[in-house]
Amino acid sequence: MAVDFAVELKNISKTFGSAAANKNISLSLKQGEILALLGENGSGKTTLMNILAGIYQPDSGSIYVNGEKAVITSPKDAKRLGIGMVHQHFKLVDVFSAADNVWLGRENRSYGFRERYKAEVSGKKGIGKFGAAASVIFHAAGFFVSERLLKKSRYREIEEISRSFGFEMDPKKKVYHMAVSEKQTLEIVKVLYYGAKVIILDEPTAVLTVQETEKLFGVLRQMRAEGHSIIIITHKLHEVMAVSDRVAVLRKGEYVGTVETASTNEQKLTELMVGHKITLNIERPFVEKKKPLLEIRGLTIENDEGACAIDDVSFYIRGGEILGVAGIAGCGQKELCEAIAGLRKIKSGEIVHKGENIVGLAPKKIIEKGIAMSFIPEDRLGMGLAPSLSITDNMLLKNYRDDNRFSPFVNRRRGRADARTIISELDIVTPSTETPVRLLSGGNVQKVLVGREIETGPNVIVTAYPVRGLDIHSSYAIYDILNRQKVSGVGILFVGEDLDVMLALCDKIMVLCHGRVMGIVHAAKTTKEELGLMMTGALNLVRSDEKRTGIAKDTNIKEQPS
Amino acid sequence: MKRYHIVKRDLLTPGRRIVFYLLAIAAALLLGALLLMMTGVNPLSYYFKMLTIGTVTDSGELSRLAYKQVENLIKVFVPLVLTSVALSVAFKMKFWNIGGEGQFLVGAVAAAFIPLKFGVIGNQALTLLLMAAAAMAAAAVWGGIVALLKVRFGTNETLMTLMFNYIALYFVALLGEEKAGWNVFLDPESQRPLFRSVWDFVTMPAITIGKFSLSWSLLFVLVLCILVYFYLKKTKHGYEISVVGDSIGTAKYAGMKVGRIIVRTMLLSSALIGLAGFFKLTSAGPLSTSLTDSVGWTGIVVAWLAKLDTVGIVITSLLISILRFGCSQASVTFGAVDSRFADLLQGVILFAVLAADFVIRFKIVKKEEA
Repeated sequence: MAVDFAVELKNISKTFGSAAANKNISLSLKQGEILALLGENGSGKTTLMNILAGIYQPDSGSIYVNGEKAVITSPKDAKRLGIGMVHQHFKLVDVFSAADNVWLGRENRSYGFRERYKAEVSGKKGIGKFGAAASVIFHAAGFFVSERLLKKSRYREIEEISRSFGFEMDPKKKVYHMAVSEKQTLEIVKVLYYGAKVIILDEPTAVLTVQETEKLFGVLRQMRAEGHSIIIITHKLHEVMAVSDRVAVLRKGEYVGTVETASTNEQKLTELMVGHKITLNIERPFVEKKKPLLEIRGLTIENDEGACAIDDVSFYIRGGEILGVAGIAGCGQKELCEAIAGLRKIKSGEIVHKGENIVGLAPKKIIEKGIAMSFIPEDRLGMGLAPSLSITDNMLLKNYRDDNRFSPFVNRRRGRADARTIISELDIVTPSTETPVRLLSGGNVQKVLVGREIETGPNVIVTAYPVRGLDIHSSYAIYDILNRQKVSGVGILFVGEDLDVMLALCDKIMVLCHGRVMGIVHAAKTTKEELGLMMTGALNLVRSDEKRTGIAKDTNIKEQPS
Repeated sequence: MKRYHIVKRDLLTPGRRIVFYLLAIAAALLLGALLLMMTGVNPLSYYFKMLTIGTVTDSGELSRLAYKQVENLIKVFVPLVLTSVALSVAFKMKFWNIGGEGQFLVGAVAAAFIPLKFGVIGNQALTLLLMAAAAMAAAAVWGGIVALLKVRFGTNETLMTLMFNYIALYFVALLGEEKAGWNVFLDPESQRPLFRSVWDFVTMPAITIGKFSLSWSLLFVLVLCILVYFYLKKTKHGYEISVVGDSIGTAKYAGMKVGRIIVRTMLLSSALIGLAGFFKLTSAGPLSTSLTDSVGWTGIVVAWLAKLDTVGIVITSLLISILRFGCSQASVTFGAVDSRFADLLQGVILFAVLAADFVIRFKIVKKEEA
């Protein structure tokens, strides 16, 4: 008899301290369906899935797998029950090959001492108990050694298996050589290799390009056709609509409901998720053209390994303009931001701010010129904030030296006042101004960072991934902040991931591929597909015969007579 | 089926946290009591002797020499509290200075060199001042080298400060054995190599209250502790130390000169430890390889027990000083228990407090069936 549900969660609750991450959640996953799990940040999606994958223990509630009650106290239990999870942050060993990463988590076959012993005793008459035991131990030793040896054949074995699932993969390739999408493929192969029938993917598309996302969805549909049941966590609504059969919505740790994808739309889903009506349009206020604020000419930068990260890049930002930077992860965005902020040496080129070359200036001097840089790295805390310090102290980070140069003391009163201002202006949820930043939720952490950058009154804002991992609500708050700055005449460089957002928010979009500019296009005149092709390098709009892209007609740079 | 699991809990109120820490100390003392009973010693009378640091006689009266015992306790307390506070300055920056022993010795050697080489310069006060300055300068160089190497070449400060301890230690050992014209550290009267005491030239002044003389060193050190407290909490330097300790990337991003901050902080940390060496030298007699009384190590324990909080360090240092000095006093009465019992108790207390930390941060809950 076939069971209807692959997994059923009943009344699951989980608290961290006094914060309830999951409150009495019941959820079911049908056999052979793709279920999208939708919810804002902190709505408990990842917690719930981590419970299913055995990483967390629920405080109460029960789990049924294929109709039978299951006890999952470790990832091993989950694996045994055929539940596999692809985490948002990949769990791979960088220095290992693809095959070894799969091999690593392989379940060792158990030897079965008792059966073997019984067989020995009954099989060979006259061997005696002692002889049988000795023989079993001898065989077991051989078995254990051969089980644990890394055999050459593992490469072929794993290549064949991944091919049988429809993936092309070089089993000998080291993880640190892999692109993000390859790593994700490897994670999926890993989960499938361990025999998972239920596959959970936590925000799998956050790091992928449009084309890669389409490919992933193809893979998911194929897996569904083969009888796998899939849960996909995401907060991109159009993806939910594209790939899922049903959508389960969580809000603030509570289960709101499950709807058939076919009978809903993005607007309805947003309302379920947020709890009230919300407009989904990002505004693009029109601002009168101003003179270029920041001009970059022929910039070449090396990355930490000495390879070329940014290759002969030229562009400019006007006041009252948002210039988007699109590109797949790791194609020079970080190096570009760091170079503008003076944190990285450049190899050649010019960075000109209001007609003045700022190459080689100390980071402090660049801050004083009014260039604010905020880069949200993958771990969201690495740059720009001191996580253990309070909001007040983090507000002081860039201006603690300023108010009285000769006073040895820090002016915390001003920091506290600034903290109060951004807390009320940006609706930051925090117990007090003295709360360490690391105790805030992701969205609030980012608001603190972006808020501080704006509080310093900059004229150029360089911001990379300001909405990374944020829910709709917080994201819109940030877009709103950026737009207000734009209207007040600030020039903004917006390094982003979500093309839909960039198309709606930015005035122009520059596309990078392997550190080279593929073109600078007007956001209103381009399409997502075109951007996608440029990101992968398949389309290059920069032609050498034309006037060079990225050079303003009304430049502040005095041309050298050539 | 597992029915219990560990979950994080909310931050406890300070009052409840203190209760947990007191329970931890009680548990450590209880374990010590078991050991004492095994050696045939009555733990109650031992602990009584220890905690009263020999100020109370066996018949229960105040000892005639009680004032002497308090003076001796201060001699133990002063170097320990100053070293611990100094270490906490570096630890706040996540610079693992475990070179307290070496910096302490180098400071003491430099301080001793002044009177032993030049005699009394001007008057007592000036000589003492010069000694203190020499101690701080020498120790700062000793610690500063490690910081420079870290900033320049990215060397590991834990390893380097540790190794520098041994260089300093064996340098003092060499001074103690090499009888030669250049070696001013040895007693010229003695045939055998013997360290000469700086007391031949200078003594630390004290305020006399009846029989009791309160050493100026205690007052100096307490003032220093207050200054360090404000330095860490209120100044721009202190702010920079906490940012660098939290995230070097962020500090650079904010335009801080991280290398300079690391070197500056380490100079301060090791200079203060050198000063502790000076205080010890002027209060506890001649140079020796065991002059430090392990404060470089004990200071690490104290700094962590107090969670790098300056006020906490002063209190913890006092308790640890009572424990250590009390044990040496108790060992006079209880011959069966070595004074190193203090080391043992200290270790057990550290573990018990770490266990209390765990209980403060996590709780064990029972899973409810749905």
